[in-house]
Amino acid sequence: MKIALFIPCLVNQMMPEVGIATLELLEKLGHQVILPKGQTCCGQPMTNSGCFNEARATTLKLLNSFKGVECDAIVCPAASCLVAAKENFHEFDDSDEAQAVIRKLYELTEFLHDVAPIASFNKAINSKVSLQMSCHGIRMLSLATPSESMDTPFNKVEAVLSGIEGLNIVYPQKRDECCGFGGTFALDEGAISGKMGKDKAHAHADTGAEFIVGFDPSCLLHIDGTVRRQQLPIATRHIAQIINMAL
Amino acid sequence: MTQTQTKTHAYKADIFCQDESRVDWHSKALWTLREKRDRAAKQLPEWEQLRTLGSQIKLHTLSNLGQYLETFEANCLANGIQVHWAKDATEHNQIAYDILSRHKVKKLVKSKSMLTEECHMNPYLEQRGIEVIDTDLGERIIQLAKQPPSHIVVPAIHMKKEEVGELFHEKINTQAGASDPTYLTRAARAHLREQFLSADAAMTGVNMAVADQGAVIVCTNEGNADMGANLPGVQIHSMGIDKLVPDMDSAAVILRTLARNATGQPITTYSSIYKAPKSGGEMHVIIVDNGRSDMLQDNILAESLKCIRCGGCLNTCPVYRRSGGFSYNYTIPGPIGIAVGASDDDSNSIPWACTLCGSCSYVCPTKVPLDKIIARHRRLKAEQGQLPYGKRHYMPLVGKLMANETALNCSMSIARTSLKILPHSLLKPFAGAWGKYRELPAGADSSFEAWFKRNREQK
Ligand code: SF4
Repeated sequence: MKIALFIPCLVNQMMPEVGIATLELLEKLGHQVILPKGQTCCGQPMTNSGCFNEARATTLKLLNSFKGVECDAIVCPAASCLVAAKENFHEFDDSDEAQAVIRKLYELTEFLHDVAPIASFNKAINSKVSLQMSCHGIRMLSLATPSESMDTPFNKVEAVLSGIEGLNIVYPQKRDECCGFGGTFALDEGAISGKMGKDKAHAHADTGAEFIVGFDPSCLLHIDGTVRRQQLPIATRHIAQIINMAL
Repeated sequence: MTQTQTKTHAYKADIFCQDESRVDWHSKALWTLREKRDRAAKQLPEWEQLRTLGSQIKLHTLSNLGQYLETFEANCLANGIQVHWAKDATEHNQIAYDILSRHKVKKLVKSKSMLTEECHMNPYLEQRGIEVIDTDLGERIIQLAKQPPSHIVVPAIHMKKEEVGELFHEKINTQAGASDPTYLTRAARAHLREQFLSADAAMTGVNMAVADQGAVIVCTNEGNADMGANLPGVQIHSMGIDKLVPDMDSAAVILRTLARNATGQPITTYSSIYKAPKSGGEMHVIIVDNGRSDMLQDNILAESLKCIRCGGCLNTCPVYRRSGGFSYNYTIPGPIGIAVGASDDDSNSIPWACTLCGSCSYVCPTKVPLDKIIARHRRLKAEQGQLPYGKRHYMPLVGKLMANETALNCSMSIARTSLKILPHSLLKPFAGAWGKYRELPAGADSSFEAWFKRNREQK
């Protein structure tokens, strides 16, 4: 398939390793990968704050960078940015061209589960990983049944990783409680965000896992900062990095 | 906009967080309720269908509210119930006072009513010489402590049993140092029994008002609403217009989820249906709007009126559990408190006391889309120029920066470099709240875009 990468600003600027892993793994799976120019941010920090006027220019700039780009899918290694992009594109532009872009948007896990599943992994990873089930991915993008729901359970994240030999998947207590990042929440509500992050980091560390693995870079950035502050013996990895290692 | 005296949620939460062991205790007490709820819900294979039905019943009733209110009133009147309409809190309190003063009531026993809290009725009546006794155990505790409720179902959840023991010792003469819940509950019961026997009138809230029956349903675990309504001659039931359901079948759907979602019980110990005055007595129903029909005008905000006040969203909310009920600047705290109270919050901060994690929306037995409602409040506040202080200043700048690639690349490259080369202790003060609670991220060597250019485009 021909895939256009949607690399959110946070990944581009602060966690390029996540972008690189995403690119490499998609290439290893035989896809042709391009990076459309002119992407900055999906507008989430602004719309999440209620500031729709401030978000318009940013959102439309991102949308324009995908309009007319020839590809089968647009893949993003960040769940909450993807959700925000979808919603914001709808909000600011409901043209057919915009719809065509929206229809092709996939979060990486979603893409690997629903669209182009991985036939087999090549390398074993002998490691225990604690999965970070970030809110937007599970509750807005349906990557897994949230713990509140009594619907038939499914979990795309675990399903994608379960093909990797040697990988031992565990979950923290309060398995999908929010980590407290919440975009500007981390700045606006410092004390609560700090405490949520601390509780989450400890819950992951208490599993005895070597890595916290997640699909949302912003949560991972937040948890990583907390893990290091708390000096816990665990490290964070994006799901793309784990998959790339196993291919 | 003028700066007001009301403190922001973040300010109050910061104070609450200073005692971390108390935060952990509070969070755990509420999470226990969430776990009980999960177990109870899991036992019903049709749980998710019940949620869908509950949501549809409430939406249907709200969409035809005028008609159902009229039917309800007509049936109440036919049953001998006196019906009163109040457009706001003041009118509600006046109506209640009129009824009570007509009967020369000196003491009113009250049960289960967040609405009277919302209307600030107790002080209103007390100023006019009527003693008001809250009879739900939790309500009585906070009334004796002169505090507002911190939760809608377990209003004294913020108090430890030792603190209740101390309070009871001081107010109702229990043994000093006693903290055994059974002992304290018994003592409270004896104390309340005296109140019931000496009261001249009783008032309760309403869990559901059944239109085709002209009846109200009141759910309690302690049976105190019934003690109140059955003893004195005058009984008053205050309800918001959002409490209507069409018939007993729809009431049954909601009864099945209410207690399960609140405390994990299959049903409340008492679910009493009142549909006529007792012989020789009077039964009044006060139907209150107080801003609810305004909310109905907005498609998104309107859905907050589907709420059946089970408290489930509070128990699951990671922010509420860690910041406590008194941080919300509204009688009702937590997600539903933000949904129905945001426009009353002078500090313009409670819509931002939320990470939009969405857990509340999934826990809700009537599918109130709380996260969407909260996001809607943010937008409305922003449009009305009522952003919290800091946001008002930095958001336009963030908007400009993000929309400008060169500026963004430039500033981020400076940020990356500083993160790499400067000692983090030097950067922390600049990183504000982030640096206070977390280590700063390690600066990456280059952006992904630059890496891509070097590694893919130049090949
Ligand atoms: S919004 Fe839903 S979960 Fe929250 S109190 Fe109301 S009914 Fe319960």
